[in-house]
Amino acid sequence: MKNLFNEFLKGIIKENPTFVLLLGLCPTLAVSVSMINGLSMGLAATFVILGSNLIISSIKRSIPDKIRIPCFIVVIATFVTIIELVMKAYSPALNRALGIYVPLIVVNCIVLGRAEAFASKQRVFNSLLDGLGMGIGFTLALVLISGIRESLGSGRLLGITIFKGFEPVLIFSMPSGALLIIGLLLGFFSLIKGKRS
Amino acid sequence: MNIAQFLTIFISSVFIYNVILSRFLGLCPFLAISKESKPALAMSLAVTFVIVMSSMITWVIYRFLLVPFNITYLRTIFFILVIATFVQLVEMVIRKISPAMYRFFGIYLALITTNCAVLGVAVMNIDMFFVKNKAVAGSFYFSLFQGFSVGVGFTLAMLLMSGIRERLEFCDVPESLRNFPIAFIIASIMSLAFMGFNGFRF
Amino acid sequence: MENKLIVSVSPHLHKGESVKRIMWFVTASLVPAGIAGVYIFGLKALEVIVLGVVSALISEAVLQLLTKKKVSIFDGSAFLTGLLLAYNLPADVPFWLPIAGSFFAIAVAKHAFGGLGQNIFNPALAGRAFLMASWPKYMTSFVVPFSPDTVTCATPLAAIKESKLIEHISYLDLFLGKRGGCIGEVCIAALILGAVFLLWKGYISWHIPLSYIATTAIFTHIFGRQGSLSGDWLFSILNGGLILGAFFMATDYVTSPLTRKGQVVFGIGCGLLTFVIRAWGGYPEGVSYAILMMNAATPLIDRYTSNRIYGTKSL
Repeated sequence: MKNLFNEFLKGIIKENPTFVLLLGLCPTLAVSVSMINGLSMGLAATFVILGSNLIISSIKRSIPDKIRIPCFIVVIATFVTIIELVMKAYSPALNRALGIYVPLIVVNCIVLGRAEAFASKQRVFNSLLDGLGMGIGFTLALVLISGIRESLGSGRLLGITIFKGFEPVLIFSMPSGALLIIGLLLGFFSLIKGKRS
Repeated sequence: MNIAQFLTIFISSVFIYNVILSRFLGLCPFLAISKESKPALAMSLAVTFVIVMSSMITWVIYRFLLVPFNITYLRTIFFILVIATFVQLVEMVIRKISPAMYRFFGIYLALITTNCAVLGVAVMNIDMFFVKNKAVAGSFYFSLFQGFSVGVGFTLAMLLMSGIRERLEFCDVPESLRNFPIAFIIASIMSLAFMGFNGFRF
Repeated sequence: MENKLIVSVSPHLHKGESVKRIMWFVTASLVPAGIAGVYIFGLKALEVIVLGVVSALISEAVLQLLTKKKVSIFDGSAFLTGLLLAYNLPADVPFWLPIAGSFFAIAVAKHAFGGLGQNIFNPALAGRAFLMASWPKYMTSFVVPFSPDTVTCATPLAAIKESKLIEHISYLDLFLGKRGGCIGEVCIAALILGAVFLLWKGYISWHIPLSYIATTAIFTHIFGRQGSLSGDWLFSILNGGLILGAFFMATDYVTSPLTRKGQVVFGIGCGLLTFVIRAWGGYPEGVSYAILMMNAATPLIDRYTSNRIYGTKSL
């Protein structure tokens, strides 16, 4: 039981896909202008990881080893297409805001990485837990980064003004600010890690 | 279709919307293979080649397969499969005809399948140069040229970064900022500098 | 001027030069431009300069304490960074703007890279680019020269970009600094005074400034707005931050190439980029961006222009 719990927990802090494994950075940086975008991207990716982990771990025995990567990609692309169509139908504004980064979930290294490193070797239930943990870890990282960027870059959070009389630091809603924030956050985490050990 | 349009595509792909520094596509190789300039150059050439070729192939597939059969919603699946197959093919061909070249950038080819820049450009081409599933005038050439320009932008960012990181080897970067954090900070300032081209109009 | 990097045969006599001495000499050479700026734009300009310098010194001290290095705020480098940043700001900015800029310059562009002598980008320019991206509205409203109440105006370069007709400004006015612009960039006469001093003392060489200014002037002349070979090259030299940038910022030892050949390449690159941004970019002025971009290219330029070691193959 403890083991299972660990499968779930590791994705959130110890093997956090964004801050520790440095995977899936493209969408992390691109869509984190506002918290709502960050959250949506996180949830969309979580859905895809869960779906692909579920399918891949259930059919792992019938996938020939040599062409496993293309097979994984087809499964992943299917789920990405599903989420893309759903988003287009129910929330066109969000779809526009996330732009090409929705179809690009296909090449998000987290998803393929989990399929290759975990789901293709483990039982269905474990794979689901792993996918959920990784998805939540990714979502939390996105929420953190987009929270910092939105509050500094526009003085608002989830669209609500939080700082009154604050001159927004526009750079944080630009690509340059995104790179700066992730650089400083990574430095901060490695500082904490260095202090502990 | 005139020179100004091509020039605008070039400047915006290389500087303003630089594939790495502004669109954040292809960050993984940018961080992992930019420590020395030789491998960085090899990777950049491989990526540029694949982006140009896949821009053409995906355009043809979209225009003559997906649009006529009305299955444009399968775009993502089709594109990624085509790109993966193409990369695999190139890898096999290079290994057969030139082992030396394979040693030079063969290992990077395998990584390119999941390089988001390749799929990203393919999707961008379709979004920009198709209006209501109809190809705009010169669409094919624009796609091809945009692919090339993005490759140039990728190469530029990779080369600058690798030069800087080679020099950083001799610098006393604070312990906790070494490696990836400082790479992001450099990228951030480079992105700031490239903002000078914002609003470029020829 | 001969290349001072060449090591001669012994005995090696120390000339008494040090980083500290050079820094303070460069600072001294910038004083006339500062006085002119304060004279033209009033005491507000002095306030910006003081804030920029003091906050740069404080940031330097705090970061050196944090990174457990020797506190060396009197070596002149942080002072110079703060001063150059302030010179690159309009006179009428809120008090916190130079503070934020100096902090970014010192903390991110300098100490993240390891401190003095190790930065890749010119800290003052990185600070300016940061401010420009973050608070563009303050960075682009300029004070009319010699006006006690702060009326804002456009710089001549910005006016031309927006195709507005500007009342004719004589070259003499431009030379003396009677135009809207940043504090330290307007008075060309004072800047040239400082530059001549630095050239005479041998602290900077002519390679970067000359190739930079000449490239911008030539391209401006060739691609004039009214057809080729009609551009007003003198106007392009006397306006914007070209003189300040070419003599005092592009020549920064740490962030520019080592060899003469490399410096000429660097200067031409800066000039070309400045011209392209001025002519077709969205911003009226491109000096700071051009120098930053070439800063990024400096390690590569150094690599390909390094002097060949005798008896070896080139790189």
